Amino acid sequence: MKIEGTYMVSAPRQTVWEHLLNPDTLAKSLPGCEKLEPQPDGSYHAEMKVGIAAVKGTYHGRVEILDPVPHERFRMKVEGQGTGGFLKGEGTLTLLGDGSETLIGYSGEAQVGGVIAGVGQRLVQAAARQIVQQFFQAFSKRLA
Amino acid sequence: MIPESFEYHAPKNLAEATRLVGQFGADGKLLAGGHSLVPLMKLRLAAPKHLIDITGIGELNYIREEGDRFEIGALTTHFQLESSGLLKSRCPLLPETAREIGDVQVRNKGTLGGSLAHSDPAADWPAAVVALDAEMHAVSASGERRIPAKDFFVDLLATALQPEEILAAIRVPALPARGGDAYAKHCHPASGFAVVGVAARVVLDERGNLAEIGVGITGVGPKAYRPAALEEALRGKSPGRKRLEEACAHAADGVEVNSDLYASAEYRGHLAAVYARRAVEKALERASENSQIS
Amino acid sequence: MRTKILGERIKRKEDPRLIRGGAHYVDDLKLDGMLYMTFVRSVYAHAKIKSINDAAARSVHGVVDVLRGRDLEGKLGNVPCAAGLEGLKIPDHPCLAPDEVRYVGEPIVAIVARDRYIAEDAADKVEIEYGPLPVVVNPEKALEKDSPLVHSKFADNVAFVAKLEGGDWKLVENDKSLKLIKQRFINQRLAPASMETRGVIASYSSGEDALTVWSSTQIPHLLKTQLAVMTGVDEARCRVITPEVGGAFGSKLNVYAEEGVASFASKKLGKPVKWIEGRRENMQATIHGRDQINDLEVYVKSDGVVAGLRCRIIADLGAYHQLLTPAIPTLTALMILGCYNIPNVWVETIGVFTNKMATDAYRGAGRPEATYIIERAMDLVANELNLDPAEVRQRNFPSPKDFPLTLATGVDYDTANYQKTLKKVLKASGYSRLRKEQERLRKKGKYLGIGLSTYVEICAMGPSSRMPAGGWEFGMVRVEPTAKVTVYTGTSPHGQGEETSFAQIVAEELGIPFDNVTVYHGDTSVVQHGIGTFGSRTTAVGGAAIFGAVQKLKKKMARFAAFKLKVKPGELIFDGGKLQTADGSKSIPFGEVVEAAYYARQLPPGVEPGLTEQMVFEPPNYTFPFGAHVAVVEVDGETGEVQLRNYYCVDDCGRILNPLLVDGQVHGGLAQGIGQALWEDHVYDENGQLITGTLMDYTLPKAHHFPWFETSNTETRTPVNPLGVKGVGEAGTIGSTPAIVNAVVDALKPFGVRHLDMPLKPEKIWRAMKQAAAQA
Repeated sequence: MKIEGTYMVSAPRQTVWEHLLNPDTLAKSLPGCEKLEPQPDGSYHAEMKVGIAAVKGTYHGRVEILDPVPHERFRMKVEGQGTGGFLKGEGTLTLLGDGSETLIGYSGEAQVGGVIAGVGQRLVQAAARQIVQQFFQAFSKRLA
Repeated sequence: MIPESFEYHAPKNLAEATRLVGQFGADGKLLAGGHSLVPLMKLRLAAPKHLIDITGIGELNYIREEGDRFEIGALTTHFQLESSGLLKSRCPLLPETAREIGDVQVRNKGTLGGSLAHSDPAADWPAAVVALDAEMHAVSASGERRIPAKDFFVDLLATALQPEEILAAIRVPALPARGGDAYAKHCHPASGFAVVGVAARVVLDERGNLAEIGVGITGVGPKAYRPAALEEALRGKSPGRKRLEEACAHAADGVEVNSDLYASAEYRGHLAAVYARRAVEKALERASENSQIS
Repeated sequence: MRTKILGERIKRKEDPRLIRGGAHYVDDLKLDGMLYMTFVRSVYAHAKIKSINDAAARSVHGVVDVLRGRDLEGKLGNVPCAAGLEGLKIPDHPCLAPDEVRYVGEPIVAIVARDRYIAEDAADKVEIEYGPLPVVVNPEKALEKDSPLVHSKFADNVAFVAKLEGGDWKLVENDKSLKLIKQRFINQRLAPASMETRGVIASYSSGEDALTVWSSTQIPHLLKTQLAVMTGVDEARCRVITPEVGGAFGSKLNVYAEEGVASFASKKLGKPVKWIEGRRENMQATIHGRDQINDLEVYVKSDGVVAGLRCRIIADLGAYHQLLTPAIPTLTALMILGCYNIPNVWVETIGVFTNKMATDAYRGAGRPEATYIIERAMDLVANELNLDPAEVRQRNFPSPKDFPLTLATGVDYDTANYQKTLKKVLKASGYSRLRKEQERLRKKGKYLGIGLSTYVEICAMGPSSRMPAGGWEFGMVRVEPTAKVTVYTGTSPHGQGEETSFAQIVAEELGIPFDNVTVYHGDTSVVQHGIGTFGSRTTAVGGAAIFGAVQKLKKKMARFAAFKLKVKPGELIFDGGKLQTADGSKSIPFGEVVEAAYYARQLPPGVEPGLTEQMVFEPPNYTFPFGAHVAVVEVDGETGEVQLRNYYCVDDCGRILNPLLVDGQVHGGLAQGIGQALWEDHVYDENGQLITGTLMDYTLPKAHHFPWFETSNTETRTPVNPLGVKGVGEAGTIGSTPAIVNAVVDALKPFGVRHLDMPLKPEKIWRAMKQAAAQA
């Protein structure tokens, strides 16, 4: 499943960059994130309750930031196991803009396995989109 | 059906139901027909600790005429709406929409309120209530409020209802003189959900121009919506085939169109335009018949 | 005049109990102390199992046992495969995956608990750590050199390659006057999706060392043998009982891991163990059907006569072999010439492993694929040469006088009159009128499509020499001392209606009321032998055995009667509840003969008391039912939606014993065949996740999708069995799929469309029309 889009936040690139890599901001912006702990290898251990409406799954897994180019882009890798299956994702975030606003572009591939993959075909794309939106809304609130 | 364990409550009246809903908050879930919730519980994707079955609350099951409006209790079943003679003559969009929902079994058990409160992006009712500018009547232990349909659907499977609120009734305007309405749907062959569903109500003025138009579209985006550009392009105009076609090309403007195994975003967008035209055309046809009668 | 029972439209004996809810399926049975089993299944298409933590599951109150693959090692045999093909690779297929999983839904852990809720709760608590491995989903990619391997112990993903060649292929290639038509067909994966999912209860008694298994299966006797082998219980102490079965369509012509694990668990725990499959499990872990890629080449003369046919079949077998997995696509090769006497044929079938559930027999099993290939080919020929599709078919039919006929594939067709069924269906559908209507509508921008299919199938499976585990069938008839008659069949009907048709055979032969005959099946301790119900064989093979047994019985009864009447036994006729001489001068009531046989006070010389006779019928050949179908569709030029307007079919299944049963089979078959053409598609994504896991996503056809089916028949009897019947269980499915696709493609002719792959979803059609508009 492809997930891509852009989101405009009212903050300069440097601020956005710092917050995106700040586990505290991230933890508070990620929908349902209950834990985001830095690990010795540079990755994070995450525990999340992800879902839409009455459908909620609990997942635990790893978040990794790879190939960071400061203030420009980084790759992000997420792997989680939980309620009836797993989710995996890998994508690139890019930052654009030179003033007080920054355009965050994201583009990646996500994969779900297990019960959600088997039964949620009709809604999974829209749900993923909604979760991403929720993240950016919460994130830009943190910046403000 | 082997769900996780839950506690079952069957309140006898609305007051008791609102008390339970207030008490359990996010741990509780209302059962109002069960055609969306029960499958989720069966798959263990939803596991409410408390299931509050309100289907036995008789006071929420009614169709009442109030001047030029109808008030319909949230627990009125799809079949009751489909077969109501009163609605067929005074608000035909509702029976026409009801007829398109699922199958006979679903229509016998499923309820208007249950469907609306679930806000499935492909459910049929949201299109009709949005097109009709319906008013949603929410009740909680601490009071009640009326929510316009346009504010009711917030996002995918999300409504403006607060956890302690119950959708008790909806109010819709009856078909006015020189009015016509219609529901046109491309049905998913497996689920019966709307791949695209378009509800339209139009009112003609004395010269046969479109005085009022309300269109509601379901299945296309994360929630049902009114296509503003489409309506704008027709409001006050004389509705020729070419103008209709041009206007309906804007059926999905500004919407992140859904894409699934059955229909890509591109095809769904195309269907939205075609079905919008078919719904408006049909509504116009009926409006002009009604104009000749009156 | 004799009372007529055979051939009559008699209502089914089975229906009252089914309609009133009085029938018993596996899940209706409850045994004392019964435990419930559930499975934890792989969520990965391919992965190493790194660890399993079942501590939390074990601690759930009410959990009795948690079983893993290694608990079964050396104690429970693998899931069996009966198909024997030259050079076939057979991977190990343990009932629970011990260390590696190869498809989503593969069972890893079994939980046995006091009730089903507890078992499911515990299953949610099992933690499995996976090490994901590369996945291959597309069978063509699986054939590439650098493809991930489904089984690392094999050098590649090729399970087998089978070649079939007939005629003189060089002659075809050298004939430059022939036109070559090429086309690739995708025959998509389907879910059998019977209304009743699978289910099993295993009950082991340690005192007797005896295993009784209730299973929703098509093959109780074969299952009994296999479970004996798998569990090590002496076969003489194994019993399989098949209660009511709510549909199978081939999917229960199998021995499944769950049947093995339930038997093992019962043996280990000393208590009955029940497992009932959920719908989601049914979608992912019951065998799938079809899934082939066919690259076809047809060499045709300018008059439309086909000189040669070449096809490469890539058959997606999935990750493991179930009972007949590799055998199914070989039936496609065998029947690829359809009802056309094409002198030269060359087929290569490549069976390929992928990270998916196994494919196996699903209604038609290999023959729908063959029929689809050849019937699409006939339309491509018609299109290419601008001939009417009916005319092209006529030009390639053998004459009725040519039968029995050996085709270039080496298959011996018994009897046929293809011209007759085609003529009849063209008349019934008003074919030439439809063509005129089509012409008129096209001018108005409306798209009517008319699709033909003239099919032949291979049925009544079959001669034992060509079957993996015997093709005979057992039948036994006993007249009880009260003169009621009990019939025992080794077939295991599950909806086909043989409790009715077999009773008709026996009642007619014995000249007694239909209601006096009861048919038993599906219990290995009651019915001595049996093969099962599949391959449209039940009446043609099982019915023939009953017929044979009843002839023996009649001979014996005639001996008793003749002894009493003092006439020659050969002179006696069974009718109207008595046995009488041809001239009617002497007769004896049926009941008196029965008394004589059981009281045995005066026995005719050399005759034993009692009235029980049995027969094992070995069919000398398959049978070859055939038919002609016409589908009429309307395609919405704006949206690509297809409306099936009319459906006409003329099926010839040989002699008809009960037209009501034949109609029922045809109706159901049509629904499934049309389902494949228009809607059904079991889809895995590129990671091997099955994304059509519910009936909200996988479109099973529903009654409201269809117009009334206009069915009729011709009757061309077969000499292969004494009843002259050919079989009809799969005809509708086999004939209808190409008729629908041909109709839709025909509707799209103004857009220059020559082929579209199934299912013909509106978007696909819309894109084809849009593309044509863009090119114009």
